[in-house]
Amino acid sequence: MEAGMHATPALHEHDSDDHIHPPPEGFIRKYVFSLDHKVIGVQYFITGILFMLIGGSFAELIRLQLWKPEGAIMSHEAYNVVYTMHGTPMVWLVLIPLVTGAIGNFVMPLQIGARDVAFPWLNMISFWIVPLSGVVLFSTLLYGGAHAGWTEYPPISLQDGVAGALWCLSIILVGVSSTMTGMNFMVTIIKMRAPGMTWTRMPLFVWATLATALMNMIATVALSAALLALFLEHVYNVPFFDPSRGGSPLLYQHMFWFYSHPAVYIFILPAFGVISEVLPTFARKPIFGYKMIAFSSMAIAILGFAVWAHHMYPSGLAPWIQTPFMILTFAVGVPTGIKIFSWLATIWGGRIQLTVPMLYALAFLITFTFGGITGIFLASVPANLHEHGSYFVVGHFHYVVGGGAVFGFLAGLTYWYPKVTGRMLDERMGKIGFWLFFAGLNLTFLPMHWLGLEGMARRYASYEYFAKTHPDSVFWNQFATVSSFLMVASVALLAVNLIWSLRHGKLAGNNPWGARTLEWMISSPPPYYNFKKIPIVYDRPYDFGEPLPYRNLDHETDPYPAPTRASLAGPAPFPAGA
Amino acid sequence: MTDVAAPKPQEVPTKGLGPGFWPFAIALTVLNVAVALLIYYAPLDFFLPGESNEVADRAADIDALFKFMSAFGFAIFTYVAGFVIYFAIVFRRRRGEPRETIGVQVHDSPTLELWWTIVPVLIIVALIWMSINVWAKVQFGNGSPALTMEVIGHQFYFEYRYPGLKSSVYSNGEAMHLPLGEPVRVLVTSADVLHSFWVPEIRLKATAVPGLVQNVNFTPTRTGSFQIVCAEFCGVDHSVMQGQLIIESPAAFRKWFAGEQTKAVSAAPVSLAGGDAAAGKAVFTQKCAACHAIAPFEQKIVGPGLAKLTDDPKHPTLVDGKPPTPDDIGEILENGYTGPLGAMPNRQATGISDKDIADLVAYLSSLK
Repeated sequence: MEAGMHATPALHEHDSDDHIHPPPEGFIRKYVFSLDHKVIGVQYFITGILFMLIGGSFAELIRLQLWKPEGAIMSHEAYNVVYTMHGTPMVWLVLIPLVTGAIGNFVMPLQIGARDVAFPWLNMISFWIVPLSGVVLFSTLLYGGAHAGWTEYPPISLQDGVAGALWCLSIILVGVSSTMTGMNFMVTIIKMRAPGMTWTRMPLFVWATLATALMNMIATVALSAALLALFLEHVYNVPFFDPSRGGSPLLYQHMFWFYSHPAVYIFILPAFGVISEVLPTFARKPIFGYKMIAFSSMAIAILGFAVWAHHMYPSGLAPWIQTPFMILTFAVGVPTGIKIFSWLATIWGGRIQLTVPMLYALAFLITFTFGGITGIFLASVPANLHEHGSYFVVGHFHYVVGGGAVFGFLAGLTYWYPKVTGRMLDERMGKIGFWLFFAGLNLTFLPMHWLGLEGMARRYASYEYFAKTHPDSVFWNQFATVSSFLMVASVALLAVNLIWSLRHGKLAGNNPWGARTLEWMISSPPPYYNFKKIPIVYDRPYDFGEPLPYRNLDHETDPYPAPTRASLAGPAPFPAGA
Repeated sequence: MTDVAAPKPQEVPTKGLGPGFWPFAIALTVLNVAVALLIYYAPLDFFLPGESNEVADRAADIDALFKFMSAFGFAIFTYVAGFVIYFAIVFRRRRGEPRETIGVQVHDSPTLELWWTIVPVLIIVALIWMSINVWAKVQFGNGSPALTMEVIGHQFYFEYRYPGLKSSVYSNGEAMHLPLGEPVRVLVTSADVLHSFWVPEIRLKATAVPGLVQNVNFTPTRTGSFQIVCAEFCGVDHSVMQGQLIIESPAAFRKWFAGEQTKAVSAAPVSLAGGDAAAGKAVFTQKCAACHAIAPFEQKIVGPGLAKLTDDPKHPTLVDGKPPTPDDIGEILENGYTGPLGAMPNRQATGISDKDIADLVAYLSSLK
């Protein structure tokens, strides 16, 4: 496709890309119903962070409740609503909007040298669905709240009444938004890369976004179907899942996890992409094994569709069906391992600058590996029979999500903040915040592993029976509660830093980190049209020390010598000096 | 932009694999071997309940798997985390070094990449092989069970049913008893929502799904009292839904069992006298018709069709080989049913009163 599509633009005098529309005018068009992917990215960020504050507050309520074995602050009914309202917004209104919505929207079009995503209107609608669905979700609290957890397994969730129906509606809305974003990003990446940006010259974050978009597009539909059925059961009494009327509770679990397992990869893959950008920049080295990292993103995305039933080992599957799911789940470990080892090799022999994004990226390697290894424990059917439904699972997925997706997100946030705002974050506040979060995460979730193995089941509003036989569990729960406030402190410091640096941060300049991908070649913040002329890409993006592989950057004179390296003669679509 | 346009920056050469690489790698390896030995030879009681003296035969198999995964998992983790920290220190940019300094410009190494694909594949193949073996034992390793019993989850208690006991044992107040050394099969199901039957010391768990019966097979190998945990969210009082499992010598078990049998006889069943068939029909429409049709046995909705219940020749399999008597019908209405025909909730779950039971029995017996 490169040859056909890219042979003409540089020669054509009035390409569509040379024509820049006038900027939008008025506050509403500029900041509210904006079509600009960068503004939409920031909108996603603000929305996601607000929902994170709410979801995080619910998390702290959970930890406070578990201060005492009999429950310290609320009734069982209230607790069940609280833990549901922690998990649901964190998954659908925080992680997915932050990693795909915020970072994906802001960075991906810049990295491929495009002026916007393929369908800006669709993008705007996708975004505005998210706050709407948040309002619907939190309105469940007016009806007593949904209380069956973020999975809302029937038949218990059928006892939620109006709140349960609203819950379904809210998540169907987020699902629609995800599907549209997935489609939009996919078309953008396939059709709108700058001339010369072949598949193997794409930044790895773009590869990760492509894999995520694929999953968003395919998997979310199954979720919407499951929730539509649950919604119909709530509202019109259609017995899809109620066993006393011939429904199948297992059917729901299959449909739910067919989406929700890929969902885990939907928020971890963009984090992988961020790590693949941050590590080379601060190690001043090319990414090690570019092709294997890109390939393993796609492998994880595809395998991710075939492992959902590992969430259901003890739930009533036929014995023979568990074996293939176990083998496929173990198999995901191989591409994930390839990524981890490639990142390790990337920092080997570098000149590592321990900036805040780099600290988050390095911490990601450690905590995510830990979460991955406990994932192997859970993947084995017989071991899972012990671990399923226990605090071991809670510890595991908070390592993967907190130590993986959130660290990836924070690495991305601190890395691209100067590009978004034009100012640097305060380095010292950032570092203190990092250590608080790293310590808080580990000290909170590590004890959960042994609590679970000892026999503490999850979703417990109180644990008096467990504490009777395991007196040390009180200590470990209180330990986790205290530690969790380190993360609260870190988030508070992050908020202060984000706001303070907006005014007082050092000016960033175009490229404060000395990175080499396209978004750093334009001003910070970027102009609304991104690139005055669409850049031409000659080579892969991570060759530190070589001349930049781009031409047509919007400077008066092109300060870069024409590439002379022999490798350009081969795959480059233009002769040197074109 | 000027910073990037500067003349070609200096690449800092690295000798071999970097300073102190091999001593560090060897130190990590020694640590990992030591930890692996510790995992294999020291009791893991802190992590796994009852580890040093397993409570059931399957627990020993699952622990062996757990130890293998712990040893390898710990090693992989310390290598990755150790080298992340080591590289971050050894290859850090020194103070005063120009920011244009770059690291070693390598792009890939097919040999290395091949190795770190093959080695994880081998570890994973070993894990799959071990897991399948242990899992086959969990499923089929116990031969034919000496005792097959049922555990039924209710909001918010467990009901235990033993063959030969007319009435169930309930977790609020009573314990589940098992004889030491006799293979047991526990059939797990639920009367209302999802529950789960989990005894951490036995390492086995099955979700209790209404309308579905799951097996848990094991042989108790140690006497004692253990907690039964509901590990699947089941509603408001999920966290206090728990039971007690007492594993005792076969003699003590028989004695307990005999006591339960006499207790069952003395406990008066619901009086069926004065049942009103017309009122029973109304209750049936309201409470039963979702699962049962007034139709021949084969016409199943969830449960079988109930027309001609007391003389349908296909119904006898339900209870004790003879056509059901009104007493049998009353018993099922009271205690529910779990067996080859599926599961039916008991009266606590269906919410029917003594009078409802009498009326229903009168109604069902009147269908000829």
